[in-house]
Amino acid sequence: MASLKEILTRRPVAATIRLTVPAGGARPAPPVGPALGQYRLNLMAFCKDFNARTQKYKPDTPMAVTITAFKDNTFEFTVKSPSVTWYLKKAAGIESGSSRPGHVVASTLTLKHIYEIAKEDG
Amino acid sequence: MSLCSLRRHFFKHLSYTSTFFTHRIHHINSNICLPSRFSPPSSAITEARAQWRHSSITAMFSTSSSATPTTCSFASPYLSVHIRCRKDVADVLSEALLCFGASSTSMDEEDSYEPDDEVYITSIFSDCQDVDECISHAADSIGLKEMPTYEVMMGNQSDWIKKTQESFHPVEVTEGLWIVPEWRTPPDPQATNIILNPGLAFGTGEHPTTKLCLLLLHGLIKGGELFLDYGTGSGILAIAALKFGAALSVGFDVDPQAITSACQNASLNNIGPEQMQLHLVPSKSIPPFTDEMKCVGVEGKNSYGDAGGISETEKYDVVIANILLNPLLDLAEHIVSCAKPGAAVGVSGIISEQLPHIIERYSPFLEGISVSKIDDWACVSGTKKRNITGS
Repeated sequence: MASLKEILTRRPVAATIRLTVPAGGARPAPPVGPALGQYRLNLMAFCKDFNARTQKYKPDTPMAVTITAFKDNTFEFTVKSPSVTWYLKKAAGIESGSSRPGHVVASTLTLKHIYEIAKEDG
Repeated sequence: MSLCSLRRHFFKHLSYTSTFFTHRIHHINSNICLPSRFSPPSSAITEARAQWRHSSITAMFSTSSSATPTTCSFASPYLSVHIRCRKDVADVLSEALLCFGASSTSMDEEDSYEPDDEVYITSIFSDCQDVDECISHAADSIGLKEMPTYEVMMGNQSDWIKKTQESFHPVEVTEGLWIVPEWRTPPDPQATNIILNPGLAFGTGEHPTTKLCLLLLHGLIKGGELFLDYGTGSGILAIAALKFGAALSVGFDVDPQAITSACQNASLNNIGPEQMQLHLVPSKSIPPFTDEMKCVGVEGKNSYGDAGGISETEKYDVVIANILLNPLLDLAEHIVSCAKPGAAVGVSGIISEQLPHIIERYSPFLEGISVSKIDDWACVSGTKKRNITGS
């Protein structure tokens, strides 16, 4: 529950932006450029901040980023470890999910795989 | 804008480094599966660089999107899709869209929405993706009964580039030192003004680490020094050093875009190639080919820095590396080796929690280590020890 002070000083939110960015690899280019540029957010600041904070992850791991853009053009962001889908694809060793989910099986995973993913994802 | 012609003009001055660049990139090309259409005569270098950069970007993303764009170029337009859906499914739909090929999604915030209200998700796709298929899969995956209605619009890269540029304003880093975007007038014409057009490279003067490094430089440069800007980005530190009185600035970077930007910015500040030299160096960290990279024309640690035969060892009076934690750790020996014994070395681009790692890594080489901070960002500096074992 937010404190009274937090509520009073909360900045008005303009938008919520979601994108996937490789750890340590944010650049002021697509997909970051168009997504953040349209709200006039400081691309360089985001890239530098994001890259510094994702140094502890394996380089180029796709990270799920959620950015809250405020009306005064400032922003905050949170970084989540890769989506479960990504882990599943990686464990199964495939590039994309099945093109017809429910009809065509793309790959098979063993129970051990699932266990490992659950452990790593925390 | 006349940027293109400016770039070409500058390539004449830097014909030496251009040759170095193509030679090195060609080596990398033969070991990594980049498109082989990369064979530049100097007039095609800018376009070829853009393609080279883009291929590394697509290589990064091929594991996370279901469509693999192989023919899109950096300069191509993108697709901006407005999708209508109910507020209560918007979040889940956004995440699903990302799983099925969208580059990004964004949703404007309005306070007065009821869960039943319809909202718009703006989703960006690269030009050659099947938007319909992606939306249909995304909607399916979260159990929507109907395909959401949507509208596709073309977006131009220049749209967001222009908006980003508009957000740069002159910055006074310290008294009498301003960083001014090319398209604005310096607020104080008498001050030391560094004119910048950062393009798509790092270093606009606003970031705390840039400020920390500029302040450090300001204190170190007395006149006549040889300065190395390791990871030069827009060239801002190299240019600043010259403005403070250094004799020569050299900038290294692994990003061709950075070298281009730094060239432009040098000319914006009337700095010629005899005062500022820029070198594109091969990047060690292109996973997963790191081991192969080490074999390509790199015999030992010192030759990593041999920019086409010039030895960089123990050459500089001041060395600053404003990059990131991992390269700072990996390249510590090389960064320090470029400095003369007793010279000043500064590293930044690190957040406070990363300080212990940096200090531990650089303690064998530097003495008189001091740390400066702005917000959560830090800069570590010291002087190179005169007797280092095994350097």
